[in-house]
This record gives sequence, C-alpha cells and structure tokens, in this order.
Amino acid sequence: MKPEGSKTGSVHHNFLPEQYEKSSQPRINHNYLKEQFSDYKEVFKRLETLLETGDFTLGRAVDEFETKFAALTGTRYAIGVGSGTDALMLSLKALGIDKGDEVITTPYTFFATIGAIVTAGARPVFVDVREDYNIDPDGIQKAITKRTKAILPVHWAGLVADMDPIQATADKHGIEIVEDACHAITATYKGRLAGSFGATGCFSMHPLKNLNVWGDGGVIVTNRADLHEKLVLLRNHGLLNRDYCAVWAYNSRLDTLQAIVANHTMEKKLPNIGESRIRNAAYLDKALSGIKQVKIPPRQLHQRHVYHLYGIQVEDRDNLLNYLVAAGIDAKVHYPVPMHLQPASREFGYKAGDFPCAEEICRSVISLPVHEFINEEHLKHTAFKIREFYE
Amino acid sequence: MKPSVKVPFVNLGLQYQNIRTEILAKFDDISSRGAYILNEDVTAFEENFAAYCGVKYAVSVGNGSDALVLCLHALGVGPGDEVITAPNSFIASAWVIARVGAKPVFADVRADYNIDPAKVREAVTPRTKAILPVHLTGRPAAMDELTEIAQKFSLFVLEDAAQAIGAKYYGRQAGSLGDAGCFSLHPLKNLHVHGDGGMITTNNQELFNKLVLLRNHGLKNRDECVLWGFNSRLDGIQAAIANIKMKYLGEWTRRFRAIAERYTQALRGLLNVPSDLPHEESVYHRYVVRSDRRDALQAHLAEQGVETKVNYPIPIHLQEVCHGLGYQRGDFPIAEQLAGEILSLPIYAEMDDGQVDWVIEAVKNFHSGGA
Repeated sequence: MKPEGSKTGSVHHNFLPEQYEKSSQPRINHNYLKEQFSDYKEVFKRLETLLETGDFTLGRAVDEFETKFAALTGTRYAIGVGSGTDALMLSLKALGIDKGDEVITTPYTFFATIGAIVTAGARPVFVDVREDYNIDPDGIQKAITKRTKAILPVHWAGLVADMDPIQATADKHGIEIVEDACHAITATYKGRLAGSFGATGCFSMHPLKNLNVWGDGGVIVTNRADLHEKLVLLRNHGLLNRDYCAVWAYNSRLDTLQAIVANHTMEKKLPNIGESRIRNAAYLDKALSGIKQVKIPPRQLHQRHVYHLYGIQVEDRDNLLNYLVAAGIDAKVHYPVPMHLQPASREFGYKAGDFPCAEEICRSVISLPVHEFINEEHLKHTAFKIREFYE
Repeated sequence: MKPSVKVPFVNLGLQYQNIRTEILAKFDDISSRGAYILNEDVTAFEENFAAYCGVKYAVSVGNGSDALVLCLHALGVGPGDEVITAPNSFIASAWVIARVGAKPVFADVRADYNIDPAKVREAVTPRTKAILPVHLTGRPAAMDELTEIAQKFSLFVLEDAAQAIGAKYYGRQAGSLGDAGCFSLHPLKNLHVHGDGGMITTNNQELFNKLVLLRNHGLKNRDECVLWGFNSRLDGIQAAIANIKMKYLGEWTRRFRAIAERYTQALRGLLNVPSDLPHEESVYHRYVVRSDRRDALQAHLAEQGVETKVNYPIPIHLQEVCHGLGYQRGDFPIAEQLAGEILSLPIYAEMDDGQVDWVIEAVKNFHSGGA
C-alpha cells in the first residue's frame, strides 16, 4: 500500500494484472487479446461513425447491444452498465438491499462479488462450495437468517451453480436470487441459460471474459419489468428525463464505444469462443485423467460449462505452477486465498477452517489456458509437461 | 417546420475531425498491445493531469460521480454525517453524498452561480463533515472563504471541478484548492473522453493510497484484498484519447475564453452576462446568461437555428428525490430565481467567429423587437 517514490506518486500504482506482463512472452499465453482483436480494423470502421457523431453516452449501439444480449440469454431485458461489479451492486440496490441485510454467497470467487455486496451496504454471509467449485445448496439453507435478503450464487469458471435446489430454498424463504454470471455467458443448466434464473443475472465484459470489450463493461439481464425500470434509472443518475430526478442513484453506463465492440464480438466470435473452450477442456480432461496427483472436478451432463477458466486441483501446486511457467505455459492460480480469509474480511469474523472445501481448492487449484487460440499441440504440450512434472 | 440548426449546442464530431489521425493511430497501438485495463496510457494520463493541475497525485476513475463517491468514502464520510453543497448543480453532486449514506445539506448560491460562503457558514452543524463546492459553469467557487470555514470547523473541502478543468483561482488551478478535486471527462466536458471517465486530484498521500485501492476492488496486489471496494477505472483506451487531447487543452481553453469574451462584449447591456473577477479565470464550460424573458428568448434563438440549454431548470432541493430532506420552495431564493432565468448559449472550441456572431445577432434582434 506504500507508494514507491516518484514524481507524482501514481506511477507504480497502476499495477498491471500479471496477465498483462509482457516480459518473457510465454508460448502458451493466458492473455490472447492481441490475437482476439487482430480484426480490430473492422471494429474501427464501426467506431468511426460513432466518433463522427459523438453519440458516446447511452447511444444507439447500447440499445442494439441490449436487445441482442437479452435474446442471447433468453431474457426479456438487458441493461448495459459500467462493469460486472456494478451489475451486481446495482442489482442488489434495485432489490432494495441495504444496511443490516445479509447476502449469502460463496467464499471461492473474485473480490468483486464481495465488493458489490459490501458497497451496497449489506453483509456477505459465506457458504462453502462443493467439489464442482460452486456454492453448496444445502449450506445455503443452513445460513439463512431473518436478515437474509438475497442469495448470490457465482457460476464459477463458467459452470452454472446448482440452481434447482437454490431456487427451491429461495422460494421457500421468499428471498431473491442475483446470479453472478460474470464467467458464464451462454452456459446452461438443464437447458436454461445462465442469467435467466435469478431476479437478475449479472455479466462482466472485462477484457479477459468470454464476451469482452476494450475496457470495463457489464450487463444485467432480467425478466422483470419492475427491475428493468429501476435499473435504467439507477445506472443513470436516477433521471426520468434530462431534468427530473426520481431516485438517488448511481452513474454506471456501458460506453457506446464498448457496446460497439461487444456487438462485434457477439456477432462474429462468441459461438467460436465458447465451442473452442469446451473442446479444449474436454481434451485436457481426457489427457490428464489417470494422473493421480490431478483431480478434475466432476462434469455434469446436464450442464454446458463454458470454461471461462479451466481449473483443476493438483498436488504440489506451487511447484507445478513454476514448472509450467518455466516451460512457457502460462498457468495461473484463480485464486490462492478465499474471500473469508482476505484481510478485508476481518470485520466479518471468519477463520481458517470455516470453509474447508473452498480452502482446499484455493490451496490446490491451477488454471490452464484453454482459450480459442489454444490448439491441440498446445494442449498436448501442457498435458505432457504436467505428466513429466509428476514422474 | 423546424428551423435548420445553424449553431448546434454541441458538435463533438468537429473536434474528432481535427485529431482523427492521432486517435486512430493510438487505437491501432492499443489494439496491437492488447492491454486495456490500468495500462501505461492510464498512468501517463494521470501524471499529465497531476502536473497540469499542480498537484502531487491524480487517480483516474470510471466517471465524475464516482470520483466524488470514492473521495467521500475515502475521507470516511458516511451515515450520520452531513455534507454542504450547492442546490443549483447537476444532480450527481447531491446523490454522491446520499450514496455514501450521508445527508446532503444545501446552501444557497450567489449571483455568480457558486455557493455562498456566508450561507455555508450558517449551514454548519456538529454533524457537518465536508463542504462540497461546485465550480459551476467552469468558474471557481469562493475557495478562500470556504477553506477558512472548513479550517475553523475541521471540515474537508471536496471540489466538484467536473466543469472546471483549467480554471484558475488566484493563479491556482481548480482541483488543487481543496483536500481533493473531482473531475468528469464525460463527452460534454471541456476535456473529454469518448465515453465515461473521471479523475481525482489531491496532494494528500494517505487519501491517494486509499483511492487507488477503492477504485480497483481494494486489491493490494493480484491476490490480496485489504478493503472491500469498488470497480471504477478509466479505460486505457479512454486514457489514451484523453492524453492526446491534453496537448490541445490550453489552446481549447483559450478559445472558450475568447468566445465568452466576444459574447460578453457584445451582449453586455442587453442581458446579464458573466465575466471574470480579477482573481478568477473561468473556463466557461457553460456560457450562461440571464433573462427575465428566458423562455421567449430560448424559443426565439431556436427559431434562428441556435440551440440553447438550461443548466439546470429545477434546483436539486425541489427534485422529487429530495422530498425526504424537508426542503421547500423559497428555501434558496437565489438558486430558485436563477433557475427561471438562466440560459446556456452554445460554446465549444470548434465554434467559429461567424457562428458566435450569429448567436449574438439572434440575441440582439430578440431585444430589438425582432421577436
């Protein structure tokens, strides 16, 4: 937290996520944005019209994006917002969640899930995950109190949480569901699309997501007209029109520029992104089976897992990670410390051992690249290096 | 039939045409690098911005509202606290206070549209935590008087400088006058990006450290979160665009001031027109005139193809959202009177003198009975 000395002090503080580090370019990259946007000139053509007209805020391309995205997720409404984090926070606020309320979620997630709950004013209540890395519906039932206002399941890595029992619990207690579907665009559960289960479904379009833009962006989907109406106000200062403000609100809009990028990605690339990840994951599942130090999470036939991340549990993880990185394979750990053990969680009073399954995953999980620019040779090499490490 | 627009209120396309080559080259560069979040362009822009404002630190964020929210949050303003601000601003300068759980308390403005220090002084209570003056229209608020009150009662001063990039107060830049300065880079601002963006300036290292965490999930590094925060970052691509525009900001600001001067010289005597006091340099983000026949004037100008706006027709304390705060009509007589008289004439760096003169003529012939 200490800034290193510099002229303005800001230099060292834009730490780049290590995905973006450019040193010693590994051969099997985790970051594939250069390749993915190699057709950027096509996007430029669309952007020029925007730049000439200056329709930068909630412009026409945002409307177009929202219509398409709602159709893609099989929902009635989509609302473009500033980020996946804001999608979650605004959803909670639209549901009236505030101080004193509790929101049940998983400790095995990205920080934003918890940040959204806390900045909405509520308290996160953690429930352990199962072997598929997703929240345990039985645990949810036990964690419900009088103050529980919502369940926020995370479709981790692109696998939809076990929504049937979660829905049953929510219905029984009259509490809302907000889906953190940031990883899970076009994932399905018993034929239903991620985002279409809850009061709202929340997506991120951060550059490393399956559907990505050239910066931050998010989108909320819902079937409820009342929530749609509220969210449209909440994302734009509470303004009913230019001059009338109906509610205290926020400013969180998907830039028109980014909507244009998203429209392009959605039309041209998304099907292939999903399919290649699924194909690559299946290849690795097979290639790694039989290595006794490797534990592949259970795969379910009724689920379409879109593998935003391909995570497996391994013995001697940190050494394997170093071994793979040294071999030019850009393996990662998502993430080494569960949310309840983060310094920021101290105020909530959790301790190590509270969520054994999540903690074990954080100790042993490793992510391997499976994006659409990974080919069979890459996968073969990855599997070979893992076997070699354990031999 | 709708008259054809001769002088639109904004024309963002013109600015783009002037710097098109540079922008496209930059897009090309970013796309070929594949780095979009908190990248080198963001760092470079923050350094430029800090240097421009004459402060130690600049932290870019998602938008101007978030700049205020993150500052209030970082300064520990929350439930039970009160923040004093102006009632004649854009709604965001009030909702940001509600957002952190505090209560917006309004103090009336003076004829220069900025908050009246005497009224601020009257509004201070034991619960007051901060003063949030708005440098409305691009003219700096009475910062010396406000700072004196703040020091006396140990309050923070948070500048809403959303409209005031480049404005000067006794030679000091807006954004360097309070504990922190909050800027918007919204497309309609003098320095803008092609979407939403914001910036915070400060000399306070502790505040800076906290803001850097708050805008990016509270992350100390990739894996460790030390406080639950927000996600509010300026896109790398927008920072790159802003960096290009920084080079032209001085030139553009001079043009804004020249247009304002031309309007003021020509319209003085016909209307209430703005002008700088000796210690001020307004950047005229909005050129606002006052008329007791405002609506008729606006209609007349529209017929002459001149687009105008009212910033803003309903004072914040009279908005539906403020019902719970217990204000009523008559509470802030000056702000209320101004709301009925103000009119913003077109002003942007790309306007040519012919267009400025067209507006002037249109105003003149309204007054000479042409309408």
